[in-house]
Amino acid sequence: MFTKDQLIAPVLGIAIAMALLVATPAGATAPPAVAEPVAEKSKSTADHSKFEELDINFKSGPEVTQACLKCHTEAAKQIHKTKHWSWEYTNPVTGQKLGKKNVINNFCTSVTSNNSFCSACHIGYGWADDSFDFTSEANVDCIVCHDTTGNYKKLPGLSGHPNYETMEWPPHSGKFRPPTDLKKIAQNVGPTSRKTCGTCHFRGGGGDAVKHGDLDSSLENPGRYLDVHMDSEGLNFSCSRCHVTDEHEVSGSRYAVTAADEKGVLIPGSQDTRNPTTCVACHGNTPHPDKMAKLNDHTRKLACQTCHIPAYARSTLQTKMSWDWSTAGKLDEQGHRIQLKNSAGKVVYDSKKGNFTYDRYVVPEYQWFNGEVKFTLFGDKVSDDEVVKINDFQGDADDPDARIWPVRVFRGKQMYDKGLQTLAVMHTAGEDDAAFWGNYDWDKAMEWGMRAAGSEYSGELGFVSTEMSWPITHMVSPKEDALGCESCHTDGGRLAGIEGIYLPARDRMPLIDTIGFGLALLALIGVLIHGGIRVILAKREG
Amino acid sequence: MLKVIIGFIAGIALLGIVGFNTAGSFMMVEHESPYGIEETAARIQANIQKMSHRGWTLSGLRDPSKAVANSGRNVPPVLLVEACSTDYSGVLLADDQARILSIMMPCTITIYKKEDGKTYIGTMNSGLMGRLFGKKVAAVMDEVAKDQAEFLKFDDSEPAPPLIRVKPGGGSAGGPEAAGC
Amino acid sequence: MERIYIFKRFERFWHWTQALLIITMMITGFEIHGTYTNLGFETAVEVHTIAAWALITLWVFAIFWHFTTGEWKQYIPTTEKVEAMMRYYLTGIFTHAEHPFRQTTLHKHNPLQRLAYLFVKLMINPLIWASGFLYLFYTSWESWGLGWMNLEWIATAHVIGAFMMLIFFIAHIYLATTGHKPMSHIKAMITGWEEID
Repeated sequence: MFTKDQLIAPVLGIAIAMALLVATPAGATAPPAVAEPVAEKSKSTADHSKFEELDINFKSGPEVTQACLKCHTEAAKQIHKTKHWSWEYTNPVTGQKLGKKNVINNFCTSVTSNNSFCSACHIGYGWADDSFDFTSEANVDCIVCHDTTGNYKKLPGLSGHPNYETMEWPPHSGKFRPPTDLKKIAQNVGPTSRKTCGTCHFRGGGGDAVKHGDLDSSLENPGRYLDVHMDSEGLNFSCSRCHVTDEHEVSGSRYAVTAADEKGVLIPGSQDTRNPTTCVACHGNTPHPDKMAKLNDHTRKLACQTCHIPAYARSTLQTKMSWDWSTAGKLDEQGHRIQLKNSAGKVVYDSKKGNFTYDRYVVPEYQWFNGEVKFTLFGDKVSDDEVVKINDFQGDADDPDARIWPVRVFRGKQMYDKGLQTLAVMHTAGEDDAAFWGNYDWDKAMEWGMRAAGSEYSGELGFVSTEMSWPITHMVSPKEDALGCESCHTDGGRLAGIEGIYLPARDRMPLIDTIGFGLALLALIGVLIHGGIRVILAKREG
Repeated sequence: MLKVIIGFIAGIALLGIVGFNTAGSFMMVEHESPYGIEETAARIQANIQKMSHRGWTLSGLRDPSKAVANSGRNVPPVLLVEACSTDYSGVLLADDQARILSIMMPCTITIYKKEDGKTYIGTMNSGLMGRLFGKKVAAVMDEVAKDQAEFLKFDDSEPAPPLIRVKPGGGSAGGPEAAGC
Repeated sequence: MERIYIFKRFERFWHWTQALLIITMMITGFEIHGTYTNLGFETAVEVHTIAAWALITLWVFAIFWHFTTGEWKQYIPTTEKVEAMMRYYLTGIFTHAEHPFRQTTLHKHNPLQRLAYLFVKLMINPLIWASGFLYLFYTSWESWGLGWMNLEWIATAHVIGAFMMLIFFIAHIYLATTGHKPMSHIKAMITGWEEID
């Protein structure tokens, strides 16, 4: 016979399951409280909600894409040529093979062996492993960029798909996401927006405000203070206003930065193939009025961003400043994952990931940058004697293409294969028994990851300090808040560490000063003595 | 003799000018904090709550830099931790002569960031301030100063407490936490 | 006591305006150099630049005046009595010895003054002027074919000029008190009339 306990469990289970089934359609477990945006009247000539092709109860993302392609016949082919699709980029100058697929960073470190999670930010469906078909048109995800409802969410672990069934999200949170309403979303497609680009670009590195510092969800509806161009009650620029897009290829890549453009304004319609995503493309190289002509001289040495973005992460959101993987894997006495939070509610320790630090209103670091970036890639020799530069910004004072740029330097400590002396590719995410985030077994996770990267783990795990640089270029402050002269023209100012230029008020020849002031002082003492004698003599004579 | 008198007067005037110009820095004290903005504020709040036996409660947490942001400009972050103890405010408010000091209630500690990226704590020099208003007030303000010094003693072995977002104004607005002044 | 008319109206105007401008430029200049903070870098640069243009304009007029009036001859150097002047300043001045030089309208500067002012006009001023001009227009060097120059040298040359001017300034002010009476020279510079023995 069954005991009482044995009976209660399944009955309870069925009851809960039924309750869920009933509750879900009624919306009791509504999606995350995203306020339905007040539908601005679309200026488009096509109302997608009137299209028969979209009046279908789509079962999956690829089905929606196939419907899109019936009219937009070339769209998928265009996407296939982009970095958003291939996650690959070959730098024509250095020949380095870059792109998300190849680069190892100091956040979640690498995509390889973790695709089913990372591809939540891939512009496609189904990239779980190497078998993914990069020629499939149906696998292109149109919606992630063109959704206007805000209810489309690709979840980590689903290889780039949204949830088609009710799903607990975040895992173990007790909250449930209803199936994605693909029909409604498909009928409401529209142009890209800060919000659609932000679904990935504001949340890189595993969460809001983590990765870039100058890109986070506060830019969905920023005030003027945060960004003069994106100010939602002012100019209200979308990302594509600057990141001009042609045949779905979005301009302005971090892999090939235009650090300086001496040619000035890029006139619309010109056949010039220069990067349109620069300040100069609109403002030119002498943007200041005549009475501030001295500032125009500064564009020879400074990027616009240096003065016009005095600090990044200027909303109340904290951005991550460092990530130390070496402390990951500690569990509590019951063997459970530990999470500790800071005063602002941000996780500062996670068994899965190690220690983090955060900051906001961060003053950037500054360095010469000519747009060329050299990455430390898988296989490149590294050692823990020195800080490894994940990406090294090139350029110096003598380089005519270099300017002084504001840079966010993200500091980390991450896995490397001590035997092979290379940055490690580690298997972090997955439902198997090797993924670090489920099993906390370094060696297994390393073995799996290194093999996926085409190498054999030496068995020696080490941790190496790394720095990754990010050019600061968003969150342009109002002109009244641009830096004043004194920020740099002083001892110990913001450009204290910049070499190769003479910066008045920062630089001087100490010897000349000593001699000059010394002689002046002697002259002063001399005349005082001379005068003193005269005064005394005059008094004596009465 | 005239020269001596003129010199004397000039000396006093000079002292007055110097005194007037530096008075501000005597009345306020600035400390560097080892923590970030939020953590500093949260640790001070936790310390204030530990002093509840002396009547202290939190009465607000304000961010004046937010208002500036709303007007379209940028300033580095500032958090004002407000606290009050009726043990002291009661004495001051009961006295016609001292009631004007309610202008300084609730007791405010400011936490802010500067260009150098460091976080600073600013407090009133309550002890010195009190001395300007007679013996009785001085006695109360001395106690406030003592407590305030306790608020700024940080225990590094304690984990960072969460920031308590008390609604300003006290009373019912923030629940029991905000019973303040 | 005798009074002679030494400094004409334009000369006096030139002298005092130049004094004002040079003092202004020393104050703002050493701030731009980073010696102290006073007006703020931006304001200091603005004031320094305006004063520089004003001084250059003044110099253009002054040079014109010197040549049209023949006053330039006042600065022709002479070795005559230089030694005597030095001896006077070192000893004679304390013992009421007779001043070795007698001012006249045609020779209003003593031999030491002649040398000093000539040094200012031919050495200090051109150094400051040329280096300052290059400093101001350093962005145009390349288009002028001066791309090989280095801002650090120019700034250093300018600062050396400034120190020379500062030292001259100290000595000049003091020596202005060494007339017949301490205020004689200064009064003369204001009214034009010099009291002599």
